[in-house]
Amino acid sequence: MAPTENTHSVQDMRQRRQVTLYGLTWSMPIVVWQLIFFVFPLIFLFVISFWLVKNYRMVPGFDTINWIKMFSKGYFWDTYWRTLGYAGVATIVTSILAFPCAFALAFKVSPKVRRWALFFLIVPFFTSYLVRIYSWQIFLNDNGIFNTLFALVGLGPFQLLNNFFGTLVGYLTLCLPLVVVLQLISLANVDRTLIEAAHNLGCGRLRTVFQVIIPLAKIGIILGAVFTFILTFGDFVSPYYLGGSKPPTLSILIIDTTKSGQQWPRAAVVAIVMILTLLTIMFASVAAAYRKRT
Amino acid sequence: MNQTSAARPLVSFDGVSKHYGSVVAVHTMNLEIYEGEFLALMGPSGCGKTTSLRMLAGLEEPSEGEIRLDGQRINEISSIERDTPMVWQSLALFPFLSVQKNVEFGLKMRAIAVEERRQRARKWLERMEILELAERDISQLSGGQRQRVALARSLVTEPRILLLDEPLTALDANLVVRMQGVLARLQKELGITFVYVTHSQSEAFAMSDRVVIMSQGRIEQIGSPKAIYRSPASRFVADFVGANNILSGSITETGEDLKISTAVGEFHCEKNSDRDFNTGDTLDLVISADLVQISMEGPEVQNSLRCRFISEEFVGSIVTIFAELEDGSDFKVQARQRDLANMALEEGAAFFASWNAADAHLIGGNGA
Repeated sequence: MAPTENTHSVQDMRQRRQVTLYGLTWSMPIVVWQLIFFVFPLIFLFVISFWLVKNYRMVPGFDTINWIKMFSKGYFWDTYWRTLGYAGVATIVTSILAFPCAFALAFKVSPKVRRWALFFLIVPFFTSYLVRIYSWQIFLNDNGIFNTLFALVGLGPFQLLNNFFGTLVGYLTLCLPLVVVLQLISLANVDRTLIEAAHNLGCGRLRTVFQVIIPLAKIGIILGAVFTFILTFGDFVSPYYLGGSKPPTLSILIIDTTKSGQQWPRAAVVAIVMILTLLTIMFASVAAAYRKRT
Repeated sequence: MNQTSAARPLVSFDGVSKHYGSVVAVHTMNLEIYEGEFLALMGPSGCGKTTSLRMLAGLEEPSEGEIRLDGQRINEISSIERDTPMVWQSLALFPFLSVQKNVEFGLKMRAIAVEERRQRARKWLERMEILELAERDISQLSGGQRQRVALARSLVTEPRILLLDEPLTALDANLVVRMQGVLARLQKELGITFVYVTHSQSEAFAMSDRVVIMSQGRIEQIGSPKAIYRSPASRFVADFVGANNILSGSITETGEDLKISTAVGEFHCEKNSDRDFNTGDTLDLVISADLVQISMEGPEVQNSLRCRFISEEFVGSIVTIFAELEDGSDFKVQARQRDLANMALEEGAAFFASWNAADAHLIGGNGA
């Protein structure tokens, strides 16, 4: 009896190993890709943050001077908090602007209109983000269409470029359609019976939005916000071309640092701080999105 | 138990219709629902029972007619303003709130102070015997527990009427019977009106004081479970409720008893209503399967039919026999399993079915 049992379990194990090997083989491409283009560069980034620059050349070594120098500079922290603030404001503004639109598309229109709307929300991505930002430069300058229209009613000209407003317009261009789509998908999946149940229990229409619909669509709303935060926190195009690059954001600071004296190690310090910030925000948000209770 | 018609109705449907485009979901419905009664709306799917309930809750607007609650027209009052809590088939519990917060929801909307609503919710959780689950997530509860949370959430505001839309459909068979007991007892204790929508005869009959049978948007019959079971008012009800055999025929003699001629023979029938019966009237003879006796030899009695055994359905102590008559139509007989044990019924075997003249129910003909 015992030998048969033994062979049986050996066979079992072999089979299990084959299954694992099979799965591993198929997941290999993505593993290799991630290693070459994400993990190794990340390790390299971390390593060079300890290197030194001598005569505009990077010299391998291990010195914490880059970290100490960056962290002790007021402009680094100013830029850090500014970038965080910009991304935070962009996240809040985008989420608030997207919600009524996503809500109307989810609840107030026919499925046909919803399909067309989805189409028009995806079309903007056909054009490069950079091209769209260039076109905003034309629209928003002092002789652009908005200031021309304002002039017709005796207003302006307003400064719409080279300030945070311009940057925010760029951020919205980047994120708004995506956030509407993410919120819409979540809202469209809200169980209508729960909305009826809320009304049935005496919950007013506006109150139902906050008490029932938003908690139910929480995952899409938070995911939209997380995407906005990640995209705007690291964005270079909008603050540079529409915000006028001054005062800088962290991405502009990285470019300035590499340009001035080839300080790649110090730029690496900034990049690592950015990555850690985004990871923290992302983990906290995803945890909040999937927490059951509100 | 039975409400007298003198009692003031709590809810009245007065010529209420509901159209969706050209589709008529409810057709000029007239119905009065009394204070403290357990009323079941029963019918096949698409008969308009759920639409009627939803109109009462304000979730659908009637196309025509008037719905009154306590004598007041409520057509224009939104569902938010009505105090007509409902228990959904899916229960519609809020997954993002704890059990306790679900039950408190209606009180919170009525701006009741935090401490009072906490206590009132706990009182109801205790009454539903689920107080220990107060802090749980909805996803951690069993089907029966969710049922109790849904009931507590609807009843915590102490309404005068509770609407239930097939709430037991998703439960296991044995749990259904238990929850029927819970519901029936709760309704008696509270003395409030329950309006219960179901397609299940056993649920409707087990709990209700009155049953409304609906078909294609119209009310077919309103009555006590027993009246509906024994005296179906129409061919539809006779078909839908119970296990009835329906034989169509016409009256050939109107003496002491009626004599009715059908395709499978001539039968005697008591005049079990005081209406006029005239020779030549066509009508349907309804013979409930549980009132039929069977024997292997042709009995020397009235109202006997020759049947051919087809199959049987055994569900415990009661066996339903499916047989075929001489003209090829179906005939059902229900008998106790132990009475059948010594009869050798095989496929194709001939046997005789008979019933008392008083046990056949007549529908149709003039005046019906």
